[in-house]
Amino acid sequence: MAQPAIEINGLAKRYGEGDAAVDALKGVDMMIQPGEVVGLIGPSGSGKSTLLKCLGAVIEPTSGRMALAGKAIYDNGWKVTDLRALRRDRIGFVFQAPYLIPFLNVTDNVALLPMLAGLPNSQAREQARQMLAALDVGHRTQAQVRQLSGGEQQRVSIARALVNEPPIVLADEPTAPLDSERALTVIRILNQMAQRFQTAIIVVTHDEKIIPTFKRLYHIRDGRTFEAAGEGRAA
Amino acid sequence: MINLAARDILHGWGKFVFTGVGLGLLIGVTLSMAGIYRGLVDDGKALLAIGGADLWVVQRDTLGPYAEPSSVRDDAYRSLLGIPGVAAAGNVTYLTMQIEHARGEVRVMLVGFQPGHPGEPGYLVAGRPITRSHYEAIADMRSGLSLNERIRIRRHEYAVVGLTRRMVSSGGDPMLFVPLKDAQEVQFLKDNDALVNERARSAANPAFNRPGVPGLLEAVQASQTNSHQVNVVLLRLAPDADETRVAEQIRRWKHLEAYTRADMDEILVAKLIATSARQIFMFLVILSVVSATIVAFIIYTMTLNKVREIAVLKLIGARNRTIALMILQQALGLGVIGFIVGRTAAALWAPIFPKYVLLLPGDAVRGALLVLLICALASVVAIRAALRVDPAAAIGG
Repeated sequence: MAQPAIEINGLAKRYGEGDAAVDALKGVDMMIQPGEVVGLIGPSGSGKSTLLKCLGAVIEPTSGRMALAGKAIYDNGWKVTDLRALRRDRIGFVFQAPYLIPFLNVTDNVALLPMLAGLPNSQAREQARQMLAALDVGHRTQAQVRQLSGGEQQRVSIARALVNEPPIVLADEPTAPLDSERALTVIRILNQMAQRFQTAIIVVTHDEKIIPTFKRLYHIRDGRTFEAAGEGRAA
Repeated sequence: MINLAARDILHGWGKFVFTGVGLGLLIGVTLSMAGIYRGLVDDGKALLAIGGADLWVVQRDTLGPYAEPSSVRDDAYRSLLGIPGVAAAGNVTYLTMQIEHARGEVRVMLVGFQPGHPGEPGYLVAGRPITRSHYEAIADMRSGLSLNERIRIRRHEYAVVGLTRRMVSSGGDPMLFVPLKDAQEVQFLKDNDALVNERARSAANPAFNRPGVPGLLEAVQASQTNSHQVNVVLLRLAPDADETRVAEQIRRWKHLEAYTRADMDEILVAKLIATSARQIFMFLVILSVVSATIVAFIIYTMTLNKVREIAVLKLIGARNRTIALMILQQALGLGVIGFIVGRTAAALWAPIFPKYVLLLPGDAVRGALLVLLICALASVVAIRAALRVDPAAAIGG
């Protein structure tokens, strides 16, 4: 079996100290294989966003262990010195709203990541165009963000998350603003991309429409995760 | 790497340009203030250049004739001419007054001079020099007077026979040149009623009207109706003469004060216009602070409007340096637009200022550097705010 794309053991996160301390995560365990798309569901305040922020290396857990593609990135302390580079090269982000940069056109929104990684502009743009084409928005490469529909904007944001071919993508309620048809389209695209690039994708969602599409689900409640088999319906 | 600042500016160029224009008008006012100061200094230097003099001889212990009143007997020039090194001498009077003409009133500096002697206008742009002993005038074009126009000064009418340019007082008032005798009369001679009254008072004074001293009263009364005073004697020196030495001789033997051109420069710039210069400097400081505050506020607001984008940029791996550079470049871009607008505006409105506004290229360069520095400093607040943006803000919850 291939090395897990994400492996988390006993991850905990405490906010505050003393009487005001809040344990947002109380020992999360999770394992996701490359090419897998799993759902992460749970009620508000259950710790979904905290887990996503820990996985995204934007907040530091209190304890536990996290490994990406077999390499520990956190083991009761960060094991990498440059978290910015870690996020840039190894983690993709898809947000609830597309959050594209409004003053860049479609190509440059996607090409920005490889450019930040040091790729020359022409190569970065070519890479972005290929990714946009793979997501069926290759005809909108020169468009401005405001000229795109909601669904197109979300595809562009997925292209941005995948353009550096990271081992994991964290999707924070990516279908929330979309209707059923578009939401299912986004999930189908995420599944296709996960297969194509062997990327592990965690989708945080409340969306009843898409929950049945996951083969595996993690429920999070009171800071703990519980794994459950999903229905795995075709999106 | 994409220039994020340029893309952001191009994306919202209308807002950016209008903001730059607003800032530019403020910078234009700042540059104009600097131009007004330069104009004051230049007016002073032009004033010294008018008479073609090397030495200014004035009443002792005064800073005359421009910074303080000065009165010198009009026959002093004869003895001054006898000093070795003095090539020419000319009596000159100065009096700032309001005169009426066909289209209204104008404040002028009335200059009495002797044609052919130091103190006469150096050049004319229209008309002819004064050729008669009385009632002819040469006016600076800024006075609004035209050739052959007739103007009334005190008791007499004068014909404007010549026009000149850039001949103004240190206060910027245009000069009106008239023959010395006329100017002395204007400055020192009282009106008829006052003279009759003065004569009666002298006649009633037993000290002046002594029975045993025939002619005393007439002599006193005559002295009251004539003026033999001037404000300054301008000296032109021989080419090989040492002006400091000649000035020293005048101070020592003639009991008068003599100033060289360097002394007069010092008096005009460091003393006469010093208060105005300080006033203008204060305006410059205030306007610079206001400009910096406005730039800081604009850039800060623009940055706050981009908090989500900045959070996303940080989350996907943009360096703090990239984000800081974007904000700095925008602030500098605003400064560049502002400076271009300001410099253009200052050049456009300078001619309609009542006082001379001199916009020097050197000041423009210094102004540009100052604007860029202010913009760079003003961007610090916004950069600090941007660097405090948490990348986690891009992730909901």
